[in-house]
Formats: sequence, structure tokens, C-alpha cells
Amino acid sequence: MKIPYERRKALYGYGFISVWLVGTVLWFLIPLVESLCYCFMNNETLKPNTGGMNKDWLSFHGGEWLQNFRYAFRVDPKFKQYLISVLKDTLIQTPMILIFSLFIAVILNQKFKGRGFARAIFFLPVIIATGPVYNIISGNIASTGADSGAQFSTLFETDMVDKLLEFLGVMNISDNLSEVINTVTTNIFGLVWSSGIQILIFLAALQNIPVSAKEAASMEGATAWEYFWKITLPYVSPMILANFIYTVIDSFTKTDNKVMELVLQKQSDWNYAHAAAMAWSYFAIVMAVVGIIVMIVNRFIFYEVE
Amino acid sequence: MDLEKNTTPELPVQSAESRSVPHTLPEGYIPESAKPVEHAVHDVGEGMSKKEAMRIRMKSMSKKEIAYLRRKRIFEKTWPVFRFLILFGLAFVILTPLLFMLSYGFRERQDMNDPTVIWIPRHLTFKIMKQTINAMKLNAGFMDNNPLVNTLFLNIGCSICQVVTCAVTGYGFARFKFKGRNLLFGIVILMILVPTQIISIPLYMTFRNFLFGNFNLIDNSLVMYLPALMANGIRAGLMIFIFRQFFRGLPKELEDAAYLDGCGPFKTFIKVMVPNAGSSFLTVFLFSIVWYWNDFYVTSSFFRNKRTISLQIKNLDGLLNIEIFNNANANISAREKIVWFEAACLISITPMLILYACLQKHFTEGIERSGLVG
Repeated sequence: MKIPYERRKALYGYGFISVWLVGTVLWFLIPLVESLCYCFMNNETLKPNTGGMNKDWLSFHGGEWLQNFRYAFRVDPKFKQYLISVLKDTLIQTPMILIFSLFIAVILNQKFKGRGFARAIFFLPVIIATGPVYNIISGNIASTGADSGAQFSTLFETDMVDKLLEFLGVMNISDNLSEVINTVTTNIFGLVWSSGIQILIFLAALQNIPVSAKEAASMEGATAWEYFWKITLPYVSPMILANFIYTVIDSFTKTDNKVMELVLQKQSDWNYAHAAAMAWSYFAIVMAVVGIIVMIVNRFIFYEVE
Repeated sequence: MDLEKNTTPELPVQSAESRSVPHTLPEGYIPESAKPVEHAVHDVGEGMSKKEAMRIRMKSMSKKEIAYLRRKRIFEKTWPVFRFLILFGLAFVILTPLLFMLSYGFRERQDMNDPTVIWIPRHLTFKIMKQTINAMKLNAGFMDNNPLVNTLFLNIGCSICQVVTCAVTGYGFARFKFKGRNLLFGIVILMILVPTQIISIPLYMTFRNFLFGNFNLIDNSLVMYLPALMANGIRAGLMIFIFRQFFRGLPKELEDAAYLDGCGPFKTFIKVMVPNAGSSFLTVFLFSIVWYWNDFYVTSSFFRNKRTISLQIKNLDGLLNIEIFNNANANISAREKIVWFEAACLISITPMLILYACLQKHFTEGIERSGLVG
């Protein structure tokens, strides 16, 4: 039997992904749908028994099926408070991480002595920050008073920031700016420690900027500042979006995420339906916000057409 | 480069008015002639020092250009200083916790209350280290649920399985057109997005009653190995994505040549694509090792008695209470406890640090070549 070439290639394609497909149905899609179903089941009776979960759907009458969500938002004393604080943290942290990591990536992309060493240090958080060690580290540093953020701010004391700004010729805004810089520096520990991968991705994007663009800019006499805004930023803009999404997803599995901690705690207290409702509403809210931001930002992104 | 060579040497001898280019350019033109480049010096005169040549050239420049040059020179002189300060400060922030571990892990606990001790401990000792190793059960027998052995066994095995299966899947997505490909790739994206906490309870039930309730896989290594074998382990979505991007970036001619020589797609993949993807494989493998090493969400939901290093760290407080502080004369303040915690951290990250130190190049440069971007 002769199968046409295109068909045969398509079949091979299915062959290549078949292992993943089976695995995904078993270990991802079925659990995903099941956990979504938990949201609409009776929390009291949703307990494991021999051979599986004891499932009891909520009736569709009178809005009873939203019971678990109502519990999460109206009854539970902590969930709403944690949710708001975590969302707020994510909203503030994410842009800061993006700006910071782009800044560091630009610096680490320059040629200077000891660059390899500097890179090695800045990527160090990548191997540590995803684990429980990070929790201990950040907790201990705060509790022993030797907050490296504080030490860093003494290195860049407000006076010094003012002097720097004066030197650069932007005197009038220095008051506000130094306040902002102060808030950033007190948070600098979390910032540095959570932007390892982002720096890595930005650095990769920076190295993909074609040499021709660089040469053209230097021929035209672009200053470093102009170069950043007109060449660097457009070229790395797709990666800004990717990094944004990565940062948000990363915040789900951060060890100090209070909402997820609450979810895990509910799970260990056998409140599976409540836990599922909480986790899903948190996930849905974050994804909605991300979706809107991505849609807006996507218009301003420069995609190189090849 | 050619263009540059043609234009710049002429600039110094021309007067400002006769130049045609600079009028359309941003203020403060003259990038190249500013630098005493060799071929430019040649124009000004043989045997002159760079300074002299510069001075002669400056005469023919407008004020704007001179100001631009001055600013540029100041920037080039001061920037390295600022860059050093910034990098030094931030590197300090990153390295502080590691120095902490070294300093706190090897001191007696009374040093914590001694105000004169900041970095260098007064009583240098291995006692705390030994106690922590005991508490974490790292000294257990080789087959006796030793966390280090467990972790390494899970870590390396799952990482290898996962890298292989993810590479195959990524290749399938990158190079074959089939119906529903976009939809299926959407599922890969969904795998990246959905946090593991959402699916952990149904997964637990699946493993608890595996194959219609005939097997209980909880506390069995299979709970980690089965998903990894089917490209569904920890952060598998991200790995498939990276591999797909990488294989898409390789030239199509590679495969066409193999097809013409009579290789089937699978043979082509193994003989032609895999050898080309070496650096990508290594990068993903290293990241996989790190993620499995650090993971405690997945392990804590499926392991009840099995110990892994990150679980031991997570439960360290309880472990320390049982193993060390439970004797009557132990009176431990929160501040003193830090000693044991830091020692445990040091134990936990040392293997990763060694791995990082040896393969640092692949961590930092591999990802740039792995095609994550573009």
C-alpha cells in the first residue's frame, strides 16, 4: 500500500508526539478536568474512599453550584486578603524584575574584565531560588538584621543618589526619585534573587541583535542612550513579553506565595473542593490579567520579519 | 565596514561646511574620527602622537562636535566605575547568603548571642554540621531511605528520561505538519501555565489507585518516573517548548540530505538531529537536574515516608525538634536555631554549586545557543 508523502509525514509527526500525548492525557488533562470538577462538588462529602474519590455534584438549583467559590470569597477569612496581597505583589514585582533584569543583561553584555565571573554570580540564583533553601535564606537574612538590602542602600545612600542625579543634571526630580530608589533598594534582595532566568533570557536576546544594526547605529553617531531606545529595546521586546509571562508563572510556585500555601493547607485538611475552587479562581484571575496585558503590549512589539 | 573606511579618513581634512552628510544627522556627529584610529592618523600626518593628531583634528570641528566628544569621553571614563559599583553591590547581595552559610554553619550556637561575632565565628566547629547531617538522616544506610541516594536516583534518572522524551516531542512539533498540531501545541503552552498545585490532588488519587485500584504507587519512585517517561515531569512544557524552538532553528537541508540517503524520520532524528543538538541537550538536562533537586511541591504531595533532600529541608524544623532539641537541657532561641538551618542549606546546595562551578559555561552560554530566543 502506498501512502502519499504528505500523509506519511503527518503520521510520523503523530508518532513523534505520541508518547507525550499519552502522558499528557494521563498525567495532565484528566487531572486538570477532574480538579475543575472538584470546584463544583460538595466539599463535605468529597473525600477519598477505597478505589477513588467520593464524588457528589452540587445541584444546579439556586446557585448552589457556586457554593465553593462563595466559600472562598465570602466565608474564608484569609483567602481574599491573601489573594489581594499576592496579586498586588505580583503586579509591583513583575515590572521591577523586568526592568532590573534588562538593565543587568545590558551591563553583562558589555565587554569588560571579569565578565565571565560576573555572569556566573548573577546566574547563581537560578540554581538555588526555586528550592526551599531560598525560603530559609531570605527569612534568616531578614531576622538577623544583616539585611543585605539595607547594606546595599548604605552603599548607595540617599545622599549619594542625589549627588549622582545632580551630577547627571536631573536635579529637580531627585527627591521623588530617591524615594523610589529607597523602596527598590530595601527590596533589592528579592529582586536580585528572582531575576536569574530573566537575565539569562534577555542576555540571549541581546546577543541575537544583528551586527548590522549595531554598525548602522554607530555610523549614525547614536549615543548609548539612543542606542538603547532605538535598537536594543525593539529587538528584545518579544522577550520582554516572554519574560513577563515567565515571571508571573514563576510566582505560582514561589515558596513564599501565600495563596498557594493556603491552598496546600486546605488540601491537607481534606477540604479538596474549597482548595480547588481557590486555586482555580486564583489561576483564572492571574491569567485574565496576563491575557489583557499581553493583548495590549503585543501592539507595541517589534517582530522581525524574516 | 567598507563604508566606514571610505568616509572617515576624509572627514578631518574637510571643512565643516563642505561636508554633505552631517547636516542630516543628529547633532554631534563624528563617531569614528573621534577615536584616534590608525588609518585616520595616517591622514593627519605620519609620526605624530595620537594627542597631536587629535588636536589638529579638533580645530576643524564645530563646537557641538567638540561638546559631543567631551561628553562621550567623560561617559567612557566614568561608566566603568559605576558599572563596577553596581555589579559589585549586587554581587554582594547574591553572595551574602552563601557567605552566611559558611560563617554560620561552622560556629557554636552561643556565638549567635555574642555581639562581637559577625562574620568570623569565635568557636570554629563541625559539631553543628554533624548534628544537621544526623537530623536530616543523611547518614542513613545506602538502601535505608537515605535522602541523598533517593534524590540522586530520582534526579538523574528522571532528568534523562524527561530530556529524551521532551526532545522527541519537541522535534515532532517542530518539523512535521499534521492535523491539530496547533491545538496540541496549545496544550503544551497550557502545561507551562498551569501551576502543579491545581492538579496535585487528582494526580494523587490516580497514583493512589493506580490501574483501577490495584496498585498503590504513593512513596514509590514510579510517581516521578512515569510522568518523566512520558514527557510530563517537572516543567516538561517548558522543555518541550525549548526543544521545539531549537529544532525549528536548524536548517532544513540537514534532514533533506538524510531523507535522500534513505533514512527514515526516526533514524534521521537520531543520526542527524541529535548530534547537532548537543549543547541544547546539555542545557535542558542541567536545568532539569536543578528543578528536580529543588522540587518539593510534587515530592511532598506523593511521598509520605520517602525522604528527599528538599523535603528534609522543608521539614527541617520538625526534624531538628525530634533529633536534637528534644533532650531536656536544650533551650534554643529562634536566633540560635539559624545555625542549624544555615548548615542544612549549605549541605543542600553544595552538590548544585559544584555542578554549577564545573559546568558554568553551559548554564550561561548554552541557553543562548539553545534557541530559546528567536
